[in-house]
Amino acid sequence: MAKKRQMYFRMITASLLRRRSRMVIALLAISIGAMILSGLVTIYIDVPRQMGAQFRSYGANMILTAAGDSISQEDVDAAADLIGPSDLVGLAPYRYETVRVNDRPVMAAATDMEGARKTSPFWRVDGDWPAASGEIMIGKNVARTYNLKVGKRMTCTFAPETEEAAAGGTGEEEVVMDNYKDFTVTGILDTGGNEEDYVYMLLPDMEELTGEPTLYDICELSVSAASGNLSAYADRITESVPAIHARLVKRVTESETTVLTKLQALVLLVTVVVLALTMICVATTMTAVVAERRREIGLRKALGASNASIVAEFMGEGLVLGAAGGLLGALLGFMFAQAVSMNVFNSSITLMPWLLPVTMAASVLVTGLACLIPIRSATDVDPALVLKGE
Amino acid sequence: MMMIAFTIALGASLATAMLSVMMDVGDKINQELKAYGANITVVPKDTSVVSELYDIGDENITDSYLKEDELGKIKTIFWTFNIVDYAPFLRTRAALESGDEVTVCGTWFNHHMDLPTGEELDAGVMSLRSWWDITEGDWPDEQAADSLEIALVGSQVAEKEGISAGDTLHVTGPAGEASLTVAGVFDAGGDEDDQIYVPLDTAQALGDLEGKVDSIEVSALTTPDNELAEKAARDPGSLSVSQYETWYCTAYASSICYQIEEVITDSVASPVRQVADSEGQILEKTQLLMILITFLSMIGAALGICNLVTASVMERSQEIGLMKAIGAHNGAITGLVLSEILCTAVIGGIGGFFAGIGFAQIIGRTVFGSAVALRPMVIPLVAVLVVIVTLIGCVPAIRMLLNLRPTEVLHGR
Amino acid sequence: MSLLELRNVSKIYGSLRALDHVNIKVEKGEWLAIMGPSGSGKSTMMNIIGALDKATEGEILLDGVDIAKKSASALTDIRRDKIGLIFQQFHLVSYLTAVENVMLAQYYHSVPDEKEALEALDRVGLADRARHYPSQLSGGEQQRVCVARALINYPEIILADEPTGNLDEANEEIVVELFRRLHEDGTTLVVVTHNPEVAEVAQRTIVLRNGRVDHETINPGFTGKIKHITLQ
Repeated sequence: MAKKRQMYFRMITASLLRRRSRMVIALLAISIGAMILSGLVTIYIDVPRQMGAQFRSYGANMILTAAGDSISQEDVDAAADLIGPSDLVGLAPYRYETVRVNDRPVMAAATDMEGARKTSPFWRVDGDWPAASGEIMIGKNVARTYNLKVGKRMTCTFAPETEEAAAGGTGEEEVVMDNYKDFTVTGILDTGGNEEDYVYMLLPDMEELTGEPTLYDICELSVSAASGNLSAYADRITESVPAIHARLVKRVTESETTVLTKLQALVLLVTVVVLALTMICVATTMTAVVAERRREIGLRKALGASNASIVAEFMGEGLVLGAAGGLLGALLGFMFAQAVSMNVFNSSITLMPWLLPVTMAASVLVTGLACLIPIRSATDVDPALVLKGE
Repeated sequence: MMMIAFTIALGASLATAMLSVMMDVGDKINQELKAYGANITVVPKDTSVVSELYDIGDENITDSYLKEDELGKIKTIFWTFNIVDYAPFLRTRAALESGDEVTVCGTWFNHHMDLPTGEELDAGVMSLRSWWDITEGDWPDEQAADSLEIALVGSQVAEKEGISAGDTLHVTGPAGEASLTVAGVFDAGGDEDDQIYVPLDTAQALGDLEGKVDSIEVSALTTPDNELAEKAARDPGSLSVSQYETWYCTAYASSICYQIEEVITDSVASPVRQVADSEGQILEKTQLLMILITFLSMIGAALGICNLVTASVMERSQEIGLMKAIGAHNGAITGLVLSEILCTAVIGGIGGFFAGIGFAQIIGRTVFGSAVALRPMVIPLVAVLVVIVTLIGCVPAIRMLLNLRPTEVLHGR
Repeated sequence: MSLLELRNVSKIYGSLRALDHVNIKVEKGEWLAIMGPSGSGKSTMMNIIGALDKATEGEILLDGVDIAKKSASALTDIRRDKIGLIFQQFHLVSYLTAVENVMLAQYYHSVPDEKEALEALDRVGLADRARHYPSQLSGGEQQRVCVARALINYPEIILADEPTGNLDEANEEIVVELFRRLHEDGTTLVVVTHNPEVAEVAQRTIVLRNGRVDHETINPGFTGKIKHITLQ
């Protein structure tokens, strides 16, 4: 029996190695099919993650507002811990105070500039973001009102909150009591939104100007997560950090979900169509490759081979081809997906090791099926007719 | 030959479908991104610095206005077809019965317009604010009979004042008062939750601001900005004539803004960076992704066709050997094989092209709920691809045929 | 009892009677030649004897068993166990070496044994060509591989269909010599040919015409003695 098996493998390897040109054709067809399968499936699975990261350019999708008066740094840290560093793209706490410039009220925001860059990637800054103390970034409208340019200096004054001031801006004459600080304009902010009416400074500067320790009014978060997870995060933060009320920015989250769903559906559909077509291509190629060997099948039958043993031999060949093509294609497909990811998203694709056996299994299956049909029809052929010459 | 025709048809249909989808995906995704709301805001030239969001004073929020009767002109600009939606806003303060002051915002809900071009357009916040969640009741219908006495109440206001859908709301503005039926309560997840939305005319009556609006939000299909657009955005005057033409005739956010400013008196239109920039970025990525996927499937289809052509020509080695034996020249054989296969390719290609259009429509309908536009560009592209791929597929086969020695073939190797 | 007996065998293709009530007996160890012009039914008869094809009517007794009504898979077993086939076009598997082609027959019959296969090739004088592919062998050498393949399983009967049809005279002689040796070893041989030279070395010749046995001759030149010629 061992000798028989040995001969079986000897025949298969002989057929694979010595009929090189035909086998290369078949192998090529199968590996292309497998490459498309593994490549597209990888992209399909990775698209929401990669595209989700792109959608973060819409900026913050979660806002932390104070449940009480204000939010402390500890509260923000606690909230950030709940989300975890892998999903948290950016976090920017904001403190808003009304300051006066040339005796006119202007809203001043103090924030962590690095965080703001990440939560508001769409901000267009003419000049530079403030980096050191005494530097300030002003909105486009503010710049126009005060006729300020990058590099110019400005002074902000702050009236410590007194009873009268809180009642309604009647303290204009009491400038004597005010704190003031000089700033250099480093950048002018263009957003097309309300932000153009604000000035932005660093947190320590605000502390110095107001003379009060930093407490935040609002905190913007950019979180990379599907909308379901996102609302789960929001609920968890609201629950576990009593000082914070977490809300989703619906405009961003809802729209992101819609677009991502459509996009993934698109890639899925395209994958299915492409895959169906390549499978048919693989099948036709295998059919052609097998059909070519009708005469050989006839000979084997004349020599006394049963249909079952002929099917076994040819299938053995097909399966070896399928496995080899699947392996090759899976690797090529991964490389393709990686290339796409690098080109489109500038980031590496997630390696999915399970895709390798799946691709190989799929290509063995498709190749097997593709071989089975022509082999079956070939074994039905009368050996006498085939051998008599076409 | 049937099999070759079939495979070529498959390849061609794949190419057609992928190319059509690829070329249209920009528009489709652009449409989807409109869910993010307006990407252009139009405000009067001298808007005060005072913000609306954290309003500092109680004085009226803006002191200059745009004219309501000019709103229709937005649909007359060069890029009119790219204007998907827009709505005017007029904010005023009004007191509720409880004495609390709220911002009442007049706008269009589903304003119906008959355009001079004969087109019809339903514009308003109903589509512009697609992310609003109507928690109670329904969107107000401007076309209904009592369309002026309706309101859509923000969830924060509703909660605070205990308002629910169907209630009657009495508001007193600076110049008038109105009794409104609450059509619904919305949750926007933003500042709008503190406001009450009413039809534009109602807000104008409340604030004695007939014919005035304080801002317009426009949702337009735009092309992602490039260097030219950025240069133009800073100062259109700095462009050369040809650059200006290019810029003006491309749907950049900045050129659409510029065109809007041309038709609306004393206005400043500016792109909402959050929406405009991100849209551009996502659009670009999606298109690139589709291009690469298309590229992959093309390679797949091409190699599939090549393979099959090679395999099936090799199958005919005996016939060709016979032809050689009876005196056919290499040229004649090559010509015969090529013309046969090209004929097959043309038939398969035409069949595949139509099948591909079908595929593209299926994809369009399933994913975006609308048909994929057929670009004439696709036809020559697919034709050239099919011919080239088929010819390349023939090369190894023909080389083999030419090296064939008739004796070997005829003696049954 | 005859090894093979055809009783009233007819084969009808549409309106054509390829074989028309043929009666033939082949004794064990006999060397029979079947001759006839083209279209006389030689090949049809060959196919029917070789269990490659079924007769339309009549009985075919092989070793006393009627194979005429057997199923396709039973015929396959009969081919495998009792019959060795030699074809005009050789029909070797192109990607297998000579010895592997011989082993292929062993493989389907029972168990491949390379040593035995090499011995068979030695018998046909191809011991030194065992590792060559068919494309590296001359026509005569290919046909000898076929002979080796046909005899490897010690079949009851070896059927040769125009075995010399594609061969030159020298190779023809070698193949005929191989047949002589097989005959000497007691193998039953049925050779279909239109070449009188090949036919006349057989013990008996049956001439077919229009699907019927036209006449039958006992070869006067057959001595049972072997004239030795050397095989290269």
